[in-house]
Amino acid sequence: MIKNYLKIAWRNIVNNKVYSAINILGLAAGMAVALIIGLWVVNEYSFDKFLPNYKQLYQVELNFTTQHDGEHTQTAMAIPLVDVMRKEIPGIKYAAETDWVGWQWHSLVVGDKKLYLNGGAAAPDFLKIFQYPFVKGSAKDALTDPYSIVLNESTAKALFGNADPINKFIRIDNQQNLKVTGVIKDIPKNATKQFTFLTPFSFKEQTESWMKSARTTWTNNSFNAFVELQPGVTVEQIAPKIKNLVYEHSPQMRPGKPEVILHPLKDWHLYSDFKNGKAVGGFIDYVRMFSIIGILVLLIACINFMNLSTARSERRAREVGVRKAIGSQRSDLITQFLAESMLITFIAFLFSILFVQLALPYFNSLVDSAISIPYTNSIFWGIMLIYVLLTGLLAGSRPAFYLSSFNPVKVLKGSIKEGKSASLPRKILVVTQFSCSIALIISTIIVYQQIQHAKDRPTGYNAARLMMTDMSGDLNTKYDALKNDLLASGYIESVAAASSPVTNIYSHMSLDKWPGKSASDEAVNIAAVFVSDDYFKTLGMTLKEGRDFTHSWTADSTSVILNEAAVKRIGLKNPINQLVTWNGNTVPVRVIGVVKDALMDSPFTPVEPAIFSHGHVANNIMYRLLPNANTQDAIKNLTKIFDSYNPAYPYIYQFVDEEYNHKFNLEILVGKLAGIFAGLAILISCLGLFGLAAYVAEQRTKEIGIRKVLGASVSQVWLLLSKDFILLVGISCIIASPVAFYFPQHWLQKYDYRITIGPVVFVLSAIAAIVITLITISFQAIKAALTNPVKSLRSE
Amino acid sequence: MLSLQHISKYYQVSGLKNFVLNDLSLEIDQGEFVSIMGPSGSGKSSLLNIIGMLDEPSEGYHYFAGHAVHQLKEKQRSALYKQYIGFVFQAYHLIDELTVYENIETPLIYQDFKGAERKAMVADILDRFNIVGKKDLFPAQLSGGQQQLVGIARALIAKPKLLLADEPTGNLNSKQGEEIMELFRKLNKEDGVTIIQVTHSEKNAEYGSRIINLLDGKIESSKQL
Repeated sequence: MIKNYLKIAWRNIVNNKVYSAINILGLAAGMAVALIIGLWVVNEYSFDKFLPNYKQLYQVELNFTTQHDGEHTQTAMAIPLVDVMRKEIPGIKYAAETDWVGWQWHSLVVGDKKLYLNGGAAAPDFLKIFQYPFVKGSAKDALTDPYSIVLNESTAKALFGNADPINKFIRIDNQQNLKVTGVIKDIPKNATKQFTFLTPFSFKEQTESWMKSARTTWTNNSFNAFVELQPGVTVEQIAPKIKNLVYEHSPQMRPGKPEVILHPLKDWHLYSDFKNGKAVGGFIDYVRMFSIIGILVLLIACINFMNLSTARSERRAREVGVRKAIGSQRSDLITQFLAESMLITFIAFLFSILFVQLALPYFNSLVDSAISIPYTNSIFWGIMLIYVLLTGLLAGSRPAFYLSSFNPVKVLKGSIKEGKSASLPRKILVVTQFSCSIALIISTIIVYQQIQHAKDRPTGYNAARLMMTDMSGDLNTKYDALKNDLLASGYIESVAAASSPVTNIYSHMSLDKWPGKSASDEAVNIAAVFVSDDYFKTLGMTLKEGRDFTHSWTADSTSVILNEAAVKRIGLKNPINQLVTWNGNTVPVRVIGVVKDALMDSPFTPVEPAIFSHGHVANNIMYRLLPNANTQDAIKNLTKIFDSYNPAYPYIYQFVDEEYNHKFNLEILVGKLAGIFAGLAILISCLGLFGLAAYVAEQRTKEIGIRKVLGASVSQVWLLLSKDFILLVGISCIIASPVAFYFPQHWLQKYDYRITIGPVVFVLSAIAAIVITLITISFQAIKAALTNPVKSLRSE
Repeated sequence: MLSLQHISKYYQVSGLKNFVLNDLSLEIDQGEFVSIMGPSGSGKSSLLNIIGMLDEPSEGYHYFAGHAVHQLKEKQRSALYKQYIGFVFQAYHLIDELTVYENIETPLIYQDFKGAERKAMVADILDRFNIVGKKDLFPAQLSGGQQQLVGIARALIAKPKLLLADEPTGNLNSKQGEEIMELFRKLNKEDGVTIIQVTHSEKNAEYGSRIINLLDGKIESSKQL
């Protein structure tokens, strides 16, 4: 029987090519969107779970509660805490201290091969906690020798080619030689922690002078730590034992009311936003948002199918009547129509797999992932089978129940004319479709408005032609000579050095005392930047009052410059020449200037209070090209200059405007994805509308013929056929608007610097939706209006 | 074989009952060949649809092969119908998307015959009706007479005891019509199939054993031939 059903279904598909194409392609597009989002969601949930023991792994983090900033959570902590946890807390299997693994850039040199890569320093247990698969060597002893290094496979290949790297030496930062003791597989893309090499933490302690007392200093919160719990031990058991460790051990840390917490590895990727000391969300919000969008687009595609099938019901009605007259029961017919929708869904599914396969390379580069269709995974195919069945059921059940309900006597007499009963559900479905599509479009526009709003925000500095390079190797000690050479090159307008790059703040310190501070005021956490002279001039920041640092490194050692936000935070009147103390020092420093606020961190948050001090602790060098300099020539020249000062490092530069634009990456990604899916949603909706318009035009052929004979013009007929649809889309706009206000408004709350949603976007979207609708249906409407009435009436 | 007692069929139109059949009683025995005649709107087709269980009367009692049809549930009625009744339409009502062979086979599918059995039965009837050569054609490729032949073959494939025909020759020319009537007579005489046909044609009516004349939903006259 099923064979018979499928046969007739197939012949129906072949005999109605346009209708079938609309149905199948619309459904395929919807299924492809849902599938690709599904694969992406699975990928997001798979983060870090490739590690066999991921459930027992945690990062150690600290909660602080302060008067000015409320409760905040940070990953930076001090080494003594790790030692206490390792030695005194039962239930912790391993604990490992690290620096900022993945964010530490070093030069690795082998022979003439120079690489500048991101890695980090980690205690030996790090590799037991994170069981990255080893290609060569083992986790047991890879980081025990202080002068050793573990590489990932691609780095090993880049440095040593196909030769065995084990026991070979790498020169790091042109200072020490490290022996390769292990090679791990490249970290997969769905890992939160990304790095290319690891050096032993003991190496860092032995070679970096500032590390000398780090192991015993509770206030040096410059490190990260990770733990693995014993099997069977839960975080709830450990939490109360570690909560007050810092508070108990370190009287100096007590004012911040520190609490030690554990952040589970499985949450790192999706739940990384902390509020009041608890992980409240993060990327999971986007995962949920796009899951909903995927389901909506699929629903829109299913509605197309329902509407087109029921609209065409008059054609199928006779068949239903005949089948009932020769012995079919209603259930047989329901089975038949469901089988038919399953067949169409299955064909659509095959197309959707093709679409997904074609779209994945683009999608992967967009979201920076390595998603592929798991063709060999039987679970995937099982889920896909359920997916096809559910979609077929969703799309096919209404047509099946509607068509099978026809009374055979009536349909065989030819007296079935569907009345309001059938067209009302169809109208509701069309309104549902367009409400979803329009809401998606409005939301997308709001996302882009927000991005544009933040991009238009004045940065407070001039990013044009401004370049940055890490102050690596010997550059810092030779800075003055380097600066002179750069200025003499004829390409550079101005040069400066600082402890943070233009687009980030690397360190925060405390502003302890200031004139007018009351007894109840706590110290202010303040962004601290050590700068050279010419810093403000090079960046194009303007001083509001006071003066800049002098050219002498020593003359201004007890002077600082504040930004406007800092002055405002501490409520300083007449700040120039006031004395403040900071960073736990007892000796006060003099405020010599106030600089206008500049965006040194996120373009979406208020400008932080910042303090600038004149000092030689630079991590970055920044320099602006002369306006008329040819960029390529300049870079060639700069490479020569930097290479001569820093032979062990490749010359790597960044343009500040590009770096700044990276801060919008997440928002632009969200905007792009929302835009693509909104576009597809409206496209699929229009595809359905096109089919419906064709049907309505066909159904009203006779009426149109008579009207034309009576003297109706083409435009009158066009209006007649269009106005119903326009009304539906108009209603959709009204329904979509509050929805499209609520969700983006909720999203905007993430941002301190945000737009207020105005009426313009709603009006523009409504106009756009109506124009798109008109274009879609006009093809059919005009075709019907142009038909010679003699033809359409003769056939009656 | 079947008995209709005090059957009425009406539609409510703005509070008024608009009678199509009005208190009509009728008995038909096994082996009869009944022709129902009457002007348009006299209720012929409605009567046939009620006998064929495609439609339900508004009032009255309907017995068929020992069952009280008016008391049966839809499912039981459908089972009874499948077993006993074949329908032939004026407009043939073949399924356009199915071939001749598949059209004839369809009722057997609904009656859960096995594949091999179906094959044998369809082959048999194709042979009997001399349309073996047409079996892979679609309805649109056949003449009206040929389509009606397929329609009758389809009605007879499951060996019904009762054949209902609603103006079976209405869309055919006189020669094709005669052939169909001859076929009906043969089925009635040789195979013992009870036949009830609705017709406008005196000539066709006379192929039967009884002629019933309807007027305004009532039996006006009935004559045995």
